[in-house]
Amino acid sequence: MPVSPIVKISNLDKFFGRLHVLKNISLEVPERQVICLIGRSGSGKSTLLRCINFLEEPSRGKIEVDGIQVDAEGKGKEQRKLIHDVRLKTGMVFQEFNLFPHMSVLENVIEGPVTVKGMDRKHAIELAEQNLDSVGMLFKKDEYPLRLSGGQKQRVAIARALTMEPRVMLFDEPTSALDPELIGEVLNVMKKVATEGMTMIVVTHEMGFARDVADRVIVMSDGELIEDANPDELFSNPKDPRTQALIDRYRSGEQ
Amino acid sequence: MASITNEGQMPASQAELLYQAQLRKERVFRMHVGISWGVLFLILIFLFSGQHIEFGGFTFKTINVDSEFIFKNITFIAGGLGQTLLISVLSILFAIVMALFAALGRLSKFPPIYALSTFYVSLIRGTPLYLQIFFFFLALPQLGIVLSGIVSGVLALGLNYGAYMSETFRAGLSSVGKGQREAAMALGMTPGQTMMRIVLPQALRFAIPPMGNDFISMTKDSALVSATGFVHELMWRATKVGRAQFNSLEALIMAAMFYWVMTLILTYFQSKLEARLSKGDR
Ligand SMILES: Nc1ncnc2c1ncn2[C@@H]1O[C@H](COP(=O)(O)OP(=O)(O)OP(=O)(O)O)[C@@H](O)[C@H]1O
Ligand SMILES: [Mg+2]
Repeated sequence: MPVSPIVKISNLDKFFGRLHVLKNISLEVPERQVICLIGRSGSGKSTLLRCINFLEEPSRGKIEVDGIQVDAEGKGKEQRKLIHDVRLKTGMVFQEFNLFPHMSVLENVIEGPVTVKGMDRKHAIELAEQNLDSVGMLFKKDEYPLRLSGGQKQRVAIARALTMEPRVMLFDEPTSALDPELIGEVLNVMKKVATEGMTMIVVTHEMGFARDVADRVIVMSDGELIEDANPDELFSNPKDPRTQALIDRYRSGEQ
Repeated sequence: MASITNEGQMPASQAELLYQAQLRKERVFRMHVGISWGVLFLILIFLFSGQHIEFGGFTFKTINVDSEFIFKNITFIAGGLGQTLLISVLSILFAIVMALFAALGRLSKFPPIYALSTFYVSLIRGTPLYLQIFFFFLALPQLGIVLSGIVSGVLALGLNYGAYMSETFRAGLSSVGKGQREAAMALGMTPGQTMMRIVLPQALRFAIPPMGNDFISMTKDSALVSATGFVHELMWRATKVGRAQFNSLEALIMAAMFYWVMTLILTYFQSKLEARLSKGDR
């Protein structure tokens, strides 16, 4: 029985001025699936991800998240409400963490539930502590972000997103700003989130993660999705020469 | 092998010794500066001590101040401290509100709001503060608007400082990275919540030290309000008794000392505050 996808992107276009960055993209993500989005710099990965929660306004097309459908060309108050609802369904993790420096770790994590959802503080703290515990950061809950390592910051950022109880998590190169020795701890947390059944779309250069955790790897090139397959197939038998070239580049970089 | 690694890493105790020596050096420097300040202050007192010094046929006279006048009038002049502080506090509060609106207006994408903000800042910065105070006090009555000295003083000082301070706020607002807004938006915050919960607190923290400086200079610029003749703050009192009894020298010295001490005290608190802010979570 086909299940309706939790994220559905239909005929999405994005222009930055005259630059056509996303070209008629359509993509369906079933619930609980983990997708890795790979591609060369400038291929439009971040833009696609950011269009899903409207941090970037798509120029044309439709986005649907957990039954909430938003047309890129919608306007006004109703549109803002739809975008708000989509953002409640999606959690996002940034390359640069973007923790709030004037708030402690715990305050960072309860900020969303309390301010946005109006959740009662005590309940929010309970939930936040659970999530901090599951990313291994509960012991730093009263610390300020300045005093955390990059890996710790990113784990807190993941807890912050999870505490909003999203249906989908979006990761934009979550380990690219980290020192090599700190990448593992973040990938492990992401793996854990994946095994708990979260739907995830991950822009990454971590081929190991893609191979081990992703259900699907999608390759972007010049604003188009050029290949979409499970990791084994994609890495062992790429169809598109551009995919082959990308994999070769990663291989040589990994050595 | 072991000796090589030992050489690379200085033993903790030696690093500690160097650090202590550094601290000692800084302490000695500060102590010497303090002593020199004391000497300079004594020289200043000596200059105003009214001494006659015979030296090889020459007579040096230092300035003679009328200490009786000082004792008689010190409470009268000190009575202006309250007014000076009151004007400064009211004006700085008004200035903060104006500065905030001007800085937010400057970020607006709505042309009239943007224009209003830049127009205000340009007009105020393009005219003297002294003129602005008189404008509220003397020019407005011609239009049927009569303001008391203190109200026109606070309006003029607040508007004036607000225009300058808006730059500080603007710098504060732009010191908050785009990623902060995006993280807030991704959590589902409205633009209002993003501003109030995420951007403003960080911008204000950035702006507090310069605001402290502005407040300190405000306490001194408030002296200009005395020119309206109706606000009995430090400067007004000093000029009044000084002129009346031909003791302006003594009166102004007293006022100067009050301003100075006030500034010293405020600067002390300002540096405490700054230290606390920088130690925190930035
Ligand atoms: N705000 C913007 N204004 C104008 N052009 C932009 C903007 N953001 C991205 N672009 C352009 O859009 C294209 C796609 O950018 P995007 O950031 O989505 O690529 P990416 O695949 O995420 O690259 P990277 O791996 O370097 O992060 C690039 O050519 C980029 O220069
Ligand atoms: Mg990117």
